[in-house]
Amino acid sequence: MTLSVEISRDVAVENAAERPGGKRAKPSAKQLARIASALTIAGLLLVWIAAAHFKLVSPVFLPAPSAVLWKFYSVATNGFVDATLWQHLLASLLRVFAALLLALIVAVPAGIAIGVSAIGRGIFDPIIEFIRPIPPLAYLPLVIIWFGIGEPSKILVIAIAMLAPIAISTAAGVKGASLDRINAARALGATRAQVVRHVILPSALPSILTGLRIALGAGWSTLVAAELVAATRGLGFMIQSAAQFLVTDVVIMGIFIIAIVAFILEIGIRRLERMVVPWAGRE
Amino acid sequence: MAHLFLDHVSVHYDGQAQPAVTQTSISVRSGDFVVLVGRSGCGKTTLLNAAAGLVPPTGGTVTVDGKTITAPGADRAVVFQNDALFPWLNVRDNVSFALTLRGVPLRERDAAAVRLLERVKLDGIGGKAIWELSGGMRQRIGLARALAAEPDFLLMDEPLGALDALTRERMQTLLLDIWAANAVGVLMVTHGIDEALLLATRIVVLAPGPGRVVREIEAGFGRRYAGGEPVRSIKADPAFNQARAELEDSILEGEAA
Repeated sequence: MTLSVEISRDVAVENAAERPGGKRAKPSAKQLARIASALTIAGLLLVWIAAAHFKLVSPVFLPAPSAVLWKFYSVATNGFVDATLWQHLLASLLRVFAALLLALIVAVPAGIAIGVSAIGRGIFDPIIEFIRPIPPLAYLPLVIIWFGIGEPSKILVIAIAMLAPIAISTAAGVKGASLDRINAARALGATRAQVVRHVILPSALPSILTGLRIALGAGWSTLVAAELVAATRGLGFMIQSAAQFLVTDVVIMGIFIIAIVAFILEIGIRRLERMVVPWAGRE
Repeated sequence: MAHLFLDHVSVHYDGQAQPAVTQTSISVRSGDFVVLVGRSGCGKTTLLNAAAGLVPPTGGTVTVDGKTITAPGADRAVVFQNDALFPWLNVRDNVSFALTLRGVPLRERDAAAVRLLERVKLDGIGGKAIWELSGGMRQRIGLARALAAEPDFLLMDEPLGALDALTRERMQTLLLDIWAANAVGVLMVTHGIDEALLLATRIVVLAPGPGRVVREIEAGFGRRYAGGEPVRSIKADPAFNQARAELEDSILEGEAA
């Protein structure tokens, strides 16, 4: 979540800085931010290296960066708790994307209903508002009581976390559809259903994709909770197993992998947005 | 011959002290070019929307050939001031949108789009994206999209209001060409007095507070253009200037009353 916020701020700054006609003399606000980021990362890395090198902290609590890197290589090739890093990663990705599919199937129609009809809003608004603030760890036990400890429960826990962002963004997109465009379609003979399909849905698409991006972030951060119980593979499971055996370097490596994958997903969806809704923001 | 008739139409929006328009009658037949003029707040757009079926009248009726209408329909296509095109469709699919709604096969739709784009003098841009185009081009595409429905009536709400002067003049003659070539009845709202005189067969002058008709003026300059006389020569005619003075007076009179 923090990541996505920072990236959007970056984009805003970039747009603001580019407008007055790209001068090169002074470093722009964007460049300053980049330099500050690079220095921060380098500084943290140095502190980490120093702490490990001078044995300020026991390796059980904070292993050296080199040890984490080495662990990355060894888990990628030999595996950890009966699966390689790629198998853990694949298991987690499949869960998150299965959950995303499920959440889209439920939340997009719900969002449209909230946006187009007062009755729809009356039905779905309280449900969404009820689910939205509850942390996944709180409903995890109930999901397990109802659906058991198998794969469906894990997917469901992630999907529930994704429902609210998708439904809320969809509803906002639907409400933002231009009245002139809706009227134009009606005056060309569109029925109510055709207006929804040909005008409201495409109008809401940029907003739906934004919801999808937020949902993917929310779902990914729910991963560890979802893999708490009876998993045999997955990044979250890998981290927890490692923690139980106090294999701190695997824990840290796992955290980095989760962060890197989240970053790659974020960039991927931004690409997708540019491809699917090239008109967004050009009106 | 189709006949669109606003019969003593009143529209009173919720929460407003007085009606937007009251007891207003306007008749548009095929081949008519009726232009609504009057200062802001006299209910021009409200009347147009009532004719389109987008705003239900709170008094009186809107009929087409004697049948009361309660909803928008493809027989009365609307052209909006801000073109209201669909940016997720390219030019071709915007133009043939009315045919998509009717389930016309793709090949026929594309052929129709080519013909319609020729009619608004925009051949060969069917594959372009909407946001690549200028305001004048977008407005012509909005016109082509409305014509695709083969409407009996063309309802236009200040279609040229956002265009620069030169583009606007070119669009005026294009509108006259299209009106002359198709047996449509046109109902158009404008702020431009010259524009009203040049285009209209009948000008309806409205006054605000509450909106109502103060005068109807017959005009024939558009017919002269359709008969082959150039716009420049029409506007140079002393009769044109006299008609303009008369029209300006009626708009001011309406305001004073």
